[in-house]
Amino acid sequence: MKVIPIYAEAGISGFESPAAEYKELGLSLDQLIIKHPNATFIGQASGHSMKGVGIFDGDILIVDRSLTAKNGDVIVANYNGSFVCKLLDKKQARLLSASADFAPVTISLEDEFSLEGVVTRSIRLHHQSPELAACML
Amino acid sequence: MYALVDAVSFYASAEKVFDPSIRNKPVVVLTNNDGCICAVCPIARRLGIPKFKPYFQVKSLLDKHGVVVRSSNYELYADLSDRMMNVISRFCDNQYIYSIDESFLYFDNYHSTIKDWHEYAHKIRRAVWKETKLPVGVGFGSTPTLSKAANHAAKKLSGFNGVAVIENNKSSNEVLTRMDVAEVWGIGSKIAKKLKFLGINNAAQLSRQDPKQIRKQFSVVMERTVNELNGISCLSWDEVKSPKKEIFSTRSFGQRITSKDELRAALVSHVSIVSKKLRRQSSLVKKLMVFASSSPHDELYYKQTIVYPFIMATDNSCEMAQAINYTIDSIYHEGVRFYRCGVGAIELVSKEFIQTDLFMPDHINTNLMKCLDNINHKYGDGTLKIATEGRDNKWKMRREFLSPQYTSQWRDIPKIQC
Repeated sequence: MKVIPIYAEAGISGFESPAAEYKELGLSLDQLIIKHPNATFIGQASGHSMKGVGIFDGDILIVDRSLTAKNGDVIVANYNGSFVCKLLDKKQARLLSASADFAPVTISLEDEFSLEGVVTRSIRLHHQSPELAACML
Repeated sequence: MYALVDAVSFYASAEKVFDPSIRNKPVVVLTNNDGCICAVCPIARRLGIPKFKPYFQVKSLLDKHGVVVRSSNYELYADLSDRMMNVISRFCDNQYIYSIDESFLYFDNYHSTIKDWHEYAHKIRRAVWKETKLPVGVGFGSTPTLSKAANHAAKKLSGFNGVAVIENNKSSNEVLTRMDVAEVWGIGSKIAKKLKFLGINNAAQLSRQDPKQIRKQFSVVMERTVNELNGISCLSWDEVKSPKKEIFSTRSFGQRITSKDELRAALVSHVSIVSKKLRRQSSLVKKLMVFASSSPHDELYYKQTIVYPFIMATDNSCEMAQAINYTIDSIYHEGVRFYRCGVGAIELVSKEFIQTDLFMPDHINTNLMKCLDNINHKYGDGTLKIATEGRDNKWKMRREFLSPQYTSQWRDIPKIQC
């Protein structure tokens, strides 16, 4: 069931708000976070290898496919059939973790590999969100 | 110049976007209620998996090749279609979205800015792939029919690799001689048979016919097709964009239904879909076809069709739902286990040129319908609906192999290993 809030209006007008003329559109998080809406997708981080760049288990990742990845960028790639988030080492064709507990992965010719996009933002949910509760499991 | 850009087996490709584990696997997508195969990805096509075959008939073949089977995930396809169309729109100021995965582009006065159409086509293709991970075919031609032919070549003929440009006699001949006449835009299977009987087998042969002669033997429409194949534009941009002449909504049930109320609910929900589409293209319906049937595989096949004429043409959902109330008693039959039903708006008129009746009240109630559409657009389809449609939808689609709604449900967003 969807509930649409409709505010009651009495239709009685007193003094017009002196601020009415200064009213602007509210701030939109989309505007701040998503630069290329058609090329951007939202994913969720799973695992602990990217702590060093501030990406923790369960964080929300904003992935922009339209950008060209530069050396050292935080990227999402299809590595042998799964999405992975790593640091890109273009010079040595490696995927680096941002944690001492995880060794670099060298991409070899036998690997299935394709770049999916650049992680432009990551979002931490300090309170659990009911919409995402199911995917935290 | 015209271009037709469309996705390569769109539904199957869309399934691969957010599921990297099946990118290099054969994938097929099933129609509503998992009945038939409606999309076959190129890998599956190379294995000889046929399109449009009932799922149960090819199940063992699919199992043998380890083919990935998916139900139609319309929520995902709608979102990816929007993204794809938006990326394409950057490349031309005249875009017409022809279907969920096809869009026509019309380049008027671009000849001084775009020197190499081939290169430009590749640019479109690369951009769509990079930003949406959907593969598209791009066909350029000097007429809409030729752009459609070029698109066919780009995707189906060897040596083109997703891009084809028909810009002179040589490139035109190259494509048209290798194109079956049945593949030409606007040529149905019946006409194709007749053409082949006359020895006209490929598109190049058709293009060499005398247009006047063709008009006598077939129709004005065919005459235009012949001219278009020769680079003479007959379809204006507005005609390409002309609204649909019939709108249908029909579907088989997830489970058989036997009660009159359930049948009524299903029919009214089809009415809602059709009326929304009518309003979107500014058409009104004069005649509504209402039908329901059992399965043709049943021992006793039951089918009933009623055409309901409106006194005044309408696009009002409530008024159209009323038409179901008037016809349901003739359509419903006690004891029949209904398998499918639907409605079709079969006679349409343009809302702009409607003749109004001085003595009839405004029956359409445009404002109410606008309100309905706006609310459903903002909060999602089905937020406001006609009460008869009901809330319990046990006859809704069966989708056993449904993939997650990666882009429209928070619980389904893709997982990324860190």
